[in-house]
Amino acid sequence: MNLALFIHTWRSQRIKILIVFVALTVWSALLPIVYGTFGQTFKEIIESGLIPEELTQFGGGDIFTLSGSIALGAIHPISLVLNSIFAVGFSTSAIAGERQRGTLEVLLARPISRRATYLTLLAATLSFVGAALLATTLGAIVGSAIGGVLDELAVNMLPLLWLNGFLLFGAIAALGLAASVSFDRLSPALGIAVGVVVVMYFLEVLGTFWPDAQGLQPYSLFHYFQPKTILEGTLSARDLALPAIVAVAAIAWALFEFPRRDLAAPS
Amino acid sequence: MEAIVTAGLTKRYGHGPRPIHLPGHGSAGEIRALEELSIEVHEGEIFGFLGPNGAGKSTTIRLLLGFLHPSAGSGSVFGLDIVRDSVAIRRRTGYLPGGIALYDTLTGERLLDYLADLTGRPPSRRAELCDRLELPAATLRRLVRDYSRGMRQKIGIVQALQHDPELAILDEPTEGLDPLMQRAFYGILDDLKAAGRTIFFSSHVLSEVERVCDRVAIIRRGRLVALEDVDALLDRRKRNVEMRVLGQAPALEGVPGVSSLAVSDGRITCQLEGDVGPFLAAIRDSRVVDLTIEPAHLEEAFLELYHDEAEVAG
Repeated sequence: MNLALFIHTWRSQRIKILIVFVALTVWSALLPIVYGTFGQTFKEIIESGLIPEELTQFGGGDIFTLSGSIALGAIHPISLVLNSIFAVGFSTSAIAGERQRGTLEVLLARPISRRATYLTLLAATLSFVGAALLATTLGAIVGSAIGGVLDELAVNMLPLLWLNGFLLFGAIAALGLAASVSFDRLSPALGIAVGVVVVMYFLEVLGTFWPDAQGLQPYSLFHYFQPKTILEGTLSARDLALPAIVAVAAIAWALFEFPRRDLAAPS
Repeated sequence: MEAIVTAGLTKRYGHGPRPIHLPGHGSAGEIRALEELSIEVHEGEIFGFLGPNGAGKSTTIRLLLGFLHPSAGSGSVFGLDIVRDSVAIRRRTGYLPGGIALYDTLTGERLLDYLADLTGRPPSRRAELCDRLELPAATLRRLVRDYSRGMRQKIGIVQALQHDPELAILDEPTEGLDPLMQRAFYGILDDLKAAGRTIFFSSHVLSEVERVCDRVAIIRRGRLVALEDVDALLDRRKRNVEMRVLGQAPALEGVPGVSSLAVSDGRITCQLEGDVGPFLAAIRDSRVVDLTIEPAHLEEAFLELYHDEAEVAG
């Protein structure tokens, strides 16, 4: 770890972090408010049989319970995009982007090992991801309070909810950084990371709409992100372990690959 | 003591089959960026590293700093191995990359602070360097993205030298500097040398290598073709001689050091190498009305070396 690099990284991202934090807080507050205001009405419409049951579920979330609405907000594409700003965007550009711009050369000319550089950037990325998920948790509390359903919120499970999300987006960030250390240009690293996230997200969402595709869901990291289950008091160790294993494997690859790579002069 | 030692340092890229054979490169899909480079750079000297674009200068520097891993051979900086002790080497080194890229969203001052923080040593020479390179505080408070090419180069020089490193590795350091700033930069180099610092000066600008360096290595297609004192290289250089005489032309055939002799209508041209004594003795009795002996320049020595090498290779 290098403190100067860590502080510089945070300083350079501070405005982006603020924007993402506010946006995620607002978004995460929105669905509990909608639940508190219209939840009963929606439930009656669904119970009338007008809408097929599969369509009332999206990624394990719904709008008829507080835990369901928080889960819906957390797995919604808007949430995914906001969380991916750091988990994918920053992580892939952290090394490959600097390499493409030529600034990595100035950085690595200092007495910092490549491993220390990587670990510092990993720590910075994970701290961004952690902050973004903190906003999600904060939004759930604020939204529940505004919607008048705070008494339904399992506040004691919120740290586990944060941890589950942190492990999911942490694993994605670790994959992004592993791609970043492996390429000289940003586009292949970004392409791989975005591709992996989109495919995994598609598999998970597809399984919720189409029962025949449920067998594909375990191949998606999003399948192990279970906000509703956690808020209802059930926690599977598998949901924490699997993203953690993926993250550790990606980190191990990056620690192996980055110090061994030749960094030729930028073209 | 030697600041830099390389022994058979070699860097090759690629091992896959390549359908096209590139002249001067390996045949089996292998690009030989550097071939068995063996040099020694003494502590306290300014060592010139000359070669055209693509000769292997940047590859050598990147090997010394640990950006690349050698395919064969070894190297050390201050006795530290370039592979194992890369971080320790960079702690004692300042590096100016060729065509340096900077963080555009920072101010010049913030950038220098950040790079000093990363180096972990106080920027003890920054004020002096900024003063000599005419980088006032007002300029340093502006964003790097607003800097001209010359100002970026000045910032590059300051970041490489601000912590007073024992070894400065400078890749094309005067690129983008105007003549006045080039002169100021040469003055900085002179002071660094006087302070016992070692400078590894990579360039393809021959006049500046001639101006500032004690010794020079010339590299071509990844191979070392010459390594000697700049003065010795210049002594070996053939001077161009032109003179006009009245009456009988002097007999210059066979005079030691004289070659390429041509005589027509009292105008004599030739090339002169080494000691000028025998030549002056041979023209002593002639009525010389005009005589020009052009001083030797490194550029010509360089071109001669390249020409000779090309002939050998051909």
